[in-house]
Amino acid sequence: MANPFLFNRREFLRNLGISTAALPFLCGLPSLTGAPLPQRRQRLVIMFSPNGTLPDEFWPEQEGENFEFKSILKPLEPFRDRTLLLNGIHNKVRGDGDSHMRGMSCLLTGSELLPGNIQGGSDTPAGWAGSISIDQEIKNYLQGRPETRTRFGSLEFGVAVPDRADPWTRMSYAGANQPVAPVDNPYDMFGKLYGQMKDKESLVSVLDDVRDDLKRVSSKLSARDKMLLDRHMALVRDLEQELQSHDGDAQLQHPVPELDPSIELVNDNTPQISRMQIDLLVNSLANDMTRVATLQYMRSVGQARMRWLGIEEGHHSLSHDPDGNQASQEKLKRINTWFCGELAYLARRLSETPEPTGEGSMLDNTLIVWTNELGKGNSHTLNNIPCVLVGGGAGFQMGRSLKLDKVAHNRLWLALANAMGHQITAFGKPALCEGGPLSLS
Amino acid sequence: MNFRCLIRHLFLFLASAGALDAEEPVHPGARIYEKMCAECHGKNGEGVAEEYKEPLTGDRSLKSLTRRIAKTMPDDDPGACVGEDAAQVAAYIYDAFYSPAAQIRLHPPTIDLARLTVPQYRTVAADLIGQFRGGFQNPADNKHGLKGHYSGPAIEQPAPEPGQKPGEKKKKTQFDRVDKQVVFSFGAQSPDPASMVAEEFSARWEGSVRAEETGVYEFVIRSENGTRLWINDTKTLLIDAWVSAGAEVREEKKSLFLLGGRSYPLVLEFFKFKDKSASIELQWKTPHGVLEPIGEQNLSPQQVHPTMVINTTFPADDRSVGYERGTGLSKAWYQATVSGALAVADYVEANLGELAGIKPEAPDRVERLKDFSRRLIQTAFRRPLSEDQKQFVDTQFANAKSAEIAVKRVVLFTFKSPRFLYPGLHESEQPDDFDAAASLAISLWDSVPDETLFRAAESGKLHTRAEIAAQAARMLADPRTKTKVAGFFHDWLDLDRAEAISKDQQAFPGFDQAVLADLRTSLALFVEEVVWSPRSDYRELLQANYLFLNARLGRFYGKDEVGEGFQRVDFDKNERAGVLTHPYLMSALAHGNLTSPIHRGVFLTRSVLGLGLKPPPMAVEFENSKFDPTFTMREKVTEMTRNTSCMGCHSVINPLGFALEHYDAIGRWRTEDNHKPVDAAGELSFGDGEPLKVSGARDIAEFAVQSESAQKVFVRQLFHHVAKQEPAAFGPDTLDSLRRSFISSEFNIQKLLAEIAVIAASDGLPTAAAPLAQK
Repeated sequence: MANPFLFNRREFLRNLGISTAALPFLCGLPSLTGAPLPQRRQRLVIMFSPNGTLPDEFWPEQEGENFEFKSILKPLEPFRDRTLLLNGIHNKVRGDGDSHMRGMSCLLTGSELLPGNIQGGSDTPAGWAGSISIDQEIKNYLQGRPETRTRFGSLEFGVAVPDRADPWTRMSYAGANQPVAPVDNPYDMFGKLYGQMKDKESLVSVLDDVRDDLKRVSSKLSARDKMLLDRHMALVRDLEQELQSHDGDAQLQHPVPELDPSIELVNDNTPQISRMQIDLLVNSLANDMTRVATLQYMRSVGQARMRWLGIEEGHHSLSHDPDGNQASQEKLKRINTWFCGELAYLARRLSETPEPTGEGSMLDNTLIVWTNELGKGNSHTLNNIPCVLVGGGAGFQMGRSLKLDKVAHNRLWLALANAMGHQITAFGKPALCEGGPLSLS
Repeated sequence: MNFRCLIRHLFLFLASAGALDAEEPVHPGARIYEKMCAECHGKNGEGVAEEYKEPLTGDRSLKSLTRRIAKTMPDDDPGACVGEDAAQVAAYIYDAFYSPAAQIRLHPPTIDLARLTVPQYRTVAADLIGQFRGGFQNPADNKHGLKGHYSGPAIEQPAPEPGQKPGEKKKKTQFDRVDKQVVFSFGAQSPDPASMVAEEFSARWEGSVRAEETGVYEFVIRSENGTRLWINDTKTLLIDAWVSAGAEVREEKKSLFLLGGRSYPLVLEFFKFKDKSASIELQWKTPHGVLEPIGEQNLSPQQVHPTMVINTTFPADDRSVGYERGTGLSKAWYQATVSGALAVADYVEANLGELAGIKPEAPDRVERLKDFSRRLIQTAFRRPLSEDQKQFVDTQFANAKSAEIAVKRVVLFTFKSPRFLYPGLHESEQPDDFDAAASLAISLWDSVPDETLFRAAESGKLHTRAEIAAQAARMLADPRTKTKVAGFFHDWLDLDRAEAISKDQQAFPGFDQAVLADLRTSLALFVEEVVWSPRSDYRELLQANYLFLNARLGRFYGKDEVGEGFQRVDFDKNERAGVLTHPYLMSALAHGNLTSPIHRGVFLTRSVLGLGLKPPPMAVEFENSKFDPTFTMREKVTEMTRNTSCMGCHSVINPLGFALEHYDAIGRWRTEDNHKPVDAAGELSFGDGEPLKVSGARDIAEFAVQSESAQKVFVRQLFHHVAKQEPAAFGPDTLDSLRRSFISSEFNIQKLLAEIAVIAASDGLPTAAAPLAQK
């Protein structure tokens, strides 16, 4: 852990050698824990990119602390000691739907899809996820407690997510059959976060004009009508005063970010859109509007044409090409490296932002999980799905490359929930939770 | 002005050119009044707090007033003021302050500046934005249902061509048809089992849906397959249930606030893929209705533009003067206008390209957006822009970071401006053609002038009374006038009260929300039939012997033969008298299991016959258990109100209410009450002339159509609703003159409506304000 002074009560107890089983009995004992410790703001960001990876260019050869990044993960070099690579995580959910659908819509839920009418490239048709996703589960937990409650609870960011709703485009679920749509328009997200404040600014800017106009009209009226407009004028003045006294910007820890107003939401602008979304994400975390966020790039089976990387072909088509196709492999490497670069940018922004409530940076208290719906694009396997963890939010032991033995991904989500203080013993399909939460501390 | 001075003033006013005796300026009745009456009624009849606090004003005739004084006054010694004394004091108070004419003279009404009422705000906002989509639209009346497009793989597939994989490039079957409703159960089959496979097919319905009343509509799709629904927004889905979830029928619902009297674009898509069965039902729950399939009457295959609907919550409008008008200013109202302005700004921002008709890369984008801004201001302020306002637009575009932000600020400025919020605000001493246009639009449509009206003002064609009248006549045909008139009937018949109807299920089994919703529709259809027929006859409103019934209502009201849809059903003419006996009104003016002759009588007295009623001297609640259980309702009410202090008003209320005793608490015709024959006969004494004998609703209707005060109260109430002002504010003779022309037009409601709008619009226009033509 990067900053030894930052820990929550549970970690403190763990360090004392007291198991979490004893926790309920200790909570009411201030004498043991002393004065209430400042709660650190634990945060979770789940980032998704689609269509599998190139395992040989992704997973390090070595296990343990001495590992070397392969080419795709090179952008993470500055965060080496805060990175945890988990090889051997399998999405073992079966049932209806093709691999892409299950890869995407069971990724964060860990349970089978509902039967439905959406036909994939193979297998049976299927519907939406059958249970809540881990980000929403943790959100509900945090929102249920006054000390961790935030304005939004969770925010779902998207980048270049096509405007359609099906099991390939949604990974976040509020419950069975309740997909949560990511907001992939930074201007919409900006409006959601700061819209009211910006509206007030616009309002203030025209109030003077309104008042001048009112005076002009008022001077021509009969005494009786003027009385009514005078009352109107008083209301205008009241509003103005209120707007000035509730200057929302002053209450924010971090100023409202400036968005370039001219970015069109088209494929070729994806790099700029990505950075705008990341900036908004970091800003919303810094202002404690939320402690849980997802960042979804494109969608499963996404056909983004990444011309900014010099690639004309669609991503999904490329991912189908055989291992022997050097040109395609080279392009896929570039694509996945670009995603990793966006992850590194997010980590950097968090590491550069001081923790608003205390010492250290925001990355010390944030865990980023980067994952994918497939282990490998051309085999459509749900085994060895990419799981890259960055940051100190969960209190895991970072700076390691682990090779796990065919572990169900449900157990990773269990570990995450527990690390965030949510002591559940099963998540998703109970049979896939056997063995309990992964031990990553 | 002190009392003596007032009396002198009044006397001077009343005296003819005859000689005045300076020694004796006081009316002989005034002396008596001062001695015997003023202690309780106040020096000027204003009332005395501890004695009799109601002001001494009313609408009795002089003769009736004399008789009442002789009979009941003074309160502590009736009989002390009779004969000539009673006549003198009556004559004095009648002219000094009692009569309506005296009241107008003492308190001459003026035209009050008023803000937009809440319904007006919403209509104006919708039409302001609507003008950029080609103006107010209404689909043709004669087409119903939705256009359905069906498509799916054909059963017969051609043999695959060489090199083609089987199943690739499937041949499709497609067909279009108009569906009355979307209520389909395809089971395991396709919509066309002969040509389309059952495993996989899709359908798309397009058209518009019409909302009758303003309020929250809940839309519901029931299906086990994939569905999605767009309403009033072609970009954002209202319901997205495209992904199915197993074999069970799901119910997806979303609510939407809609303005009444308008149609909204609707697209519904459906698809089935390998699900075991297929079905779809499109239902809704209207503001006063029950969940049911959207009927063909409310669907049209014709496409319309979306409408901007501002659903900001506003505080209720002030109705302390007896009708809703925008004279109350409160912080809550002002804040609502702020939220409203922000909502409009957001809407404009989200739809700017479409509204301003430009693409993002258009080279003249900024200029076009300036045009858009100027046109918005012009329509909102109901006149061309001043130099200041043009300058304001330029400044916004010069200062804002982007043209979009400038537009947003213009919208905020416009919707916060008093010129927008106060439609009667005159820019100059002398009203002009633009003021006339604004007045016509607000009176008849609750809206802003359309292009035709604005053009007429621009070219100086709204200058004479005839020109204004011609526009008013044109405007009558617009559906927004119908909406305005529907609002009048809502107020006149106090339908707010009807919304709370709840009947004893033991007494009236099956009389549920569905029946009530049908009754509401039935009343609306009746009013529409009468008002919008060419004769538009007020007398028919009160005398018609027919109702609109559907099968469900037919079963309740003794007409089992009625089919599914609403149709006109004739009754014996003694059994029905227009709105007066409409079951919806009869149900509203009744208790849960019993009739209420008092509620019915008060409605008839005040709202139909136009007779003033004082508030009751004491509040008495009707408690059924207190009466002899063998009594009829008539007997109970008679006993309850027999006190002399009650009978001042109940001598009128009761016989009117009793005349409707043939209608039970849900408005069914009956001949018995509590096992005794109904006695609906009675006499009304108005103080002068022979008492009026009534024995049923029809007698009241016959009387009302030829009664001056009944005609006046109808005209006055319509005037209030349309112009939101007192008729006398437009001259003391306005009401009488309108009544006379109402009679000479054979009681044509449409003509009356237009004439009211013309009077309001002509005010202050020198060339138009000539005396009303006497007919």
